[in-house]
Amino acid sequence: MPNFPWPGRRDVSAISDTSLSALLAGAELPTGSPPELRPVAEALAALTAAPIGDELTGEVEALAAFRERLGVPSPTRRARRRPTLLSPLRSARAAAAAAVAALGIGGFATAAFAGALPAPVQQFAHHTIGAPAAHDAAARAHDRPSPVGPNATGHPAYGLCNAWAHAKEHGTAMQKAVAFRNLARAAGGAGNVAAYCSTVPHPGASHSHPAGKPSSHPTPHGNDNGNGNGKPSTHPTPPHSTGKPSTHPTSHGNGNGGS
Amino acid sequence: MIGDGFAAVLAAAQRGSEDAFSQLWRDGNPPLLRYLRVIASDVAEDVAADTWVQVVRGLAGFRGDEQAWRAWLFTTARRRSIDEGRRRSRRPTAPLEEVAAGQLPTAPDAAETVLERLGTRTAMAWLAELPSIQAEVILLRVVAGLDTETVAQLTGRSPGAVRVAAHRGLRRLAELLSEAGVTL
Repeated sequence: MPNFPWPGRRDVSAISDTSLSALLAGAELPTGSPPELRPVAEALAALTAAPIGDELTGEVEALAAFRERLGVPSPTRRARRRPTLLSPLRSARAAAAAAVAALGIGGFATAAFAGALPAPVQQFAHHTIGAPAAHDAAARAHDRPSPVGPNATGHPAYGLCNAWAHAKEHGTAMQKAVAFRNLARAAGGAGNVAAYCSTVPHPGASHSHPAGKPSSHPTPHGNDNGNGNGKPSTHPTPPHSTGKPSTHPTSHGNGNGGS
Repeated sequence: MIGDGFAAVLAAAQRGSEDAFSQLWRDGNPPLLRYLRVIASDVAEDVAADTWVQVVRGLAGFRGDEQAWRAWLFTTARRRSIDEGRRRSRRPTAPLEEVAAGQLPTAPDAAETVLERLGTRTAMAWLAELPSIQAEVILLRVVAGLDTETVAQLTGRSPGAVRVAAHRGLRRLAELLSEAGVTL
């Protein structure tokens, strides 16, 4: 059999279990290990050496992703932000926008008041924050040139009262506090909130809906439970609950038949 | 590895502490990049960045010790690198073992190696000369710090196959270094 020489090739005998473990663990090689293993140990040590070159670039991007997901703004930053957010709010319209934004549904609310949401979502927005109902939003969408804030058609108080009603039922303590403060400001004091909200006309006047009436619970510390106000009394019926197909496919009739 | 303080650092990061997350990142990113630069060199940076985005998404729900954390990090990276490879090459994909060494960093010049001893990059280049599965197993054991069972799960092989791959890889590495005249 001809001999094909592999130039420079050197066979290394099998590595003993103890040497193998030592190498993989980065531990010192046992005495009597073949000398060829020393460069290997060195190479593996180099693989776990301190960061080099660009291995620590990219932290800014990772932190940005982290902040977006889990970040907690520092207390000082949050405290500073509040006055700058609220000071320019002179009109009730802007206050309503802030109340809605404080609920964390700012973009949603803007789209809702612009009538730009898909019909079921628009309907939900109609019930919860007083956005136009799905159908009149669609009708209005083309005769109103520029979509604007929460009070495009309704009374400015409507958004505030509803935001408060919504926060009271579903919001966090912080959301409740913010929504109520905004409402109280627009109403001219916490004591006026009930009266203020009781006079609010619904923006979609042709449809009667239970407006979220915070009037019965004028303080932010009120009981949040068992309060059905603000919830729609009717729910859209799923289209296929009435029109059932008269025949059923039989495929699931025989249960566990292996097909 | 962070060690004893790991649980506290993880908990703080899960509560939203940027400093704690930064500590996890600084501990995890260098080994992650070393692993990716050997097994998926042309997409290593992208995959590392994607991996962290995905890890951030799941961070609040993660439970486990530092081994589990490292396993999660590298599993995520491995999946991402496989997806990325599929996305980028429209060609039929070869199993990792068959990926040619030509795509990987070239082996360093022997003389240079002896002079500067073995730097991290040089060691990575040598490792890239090994068949992929051998290089991957060694990286996961040594760089990621994972045990044989975890590496077996991560790569979808038996623990026995992982041990064999590590053994062969280190033997091959010894041969390569010896051929190149690297003596220490």
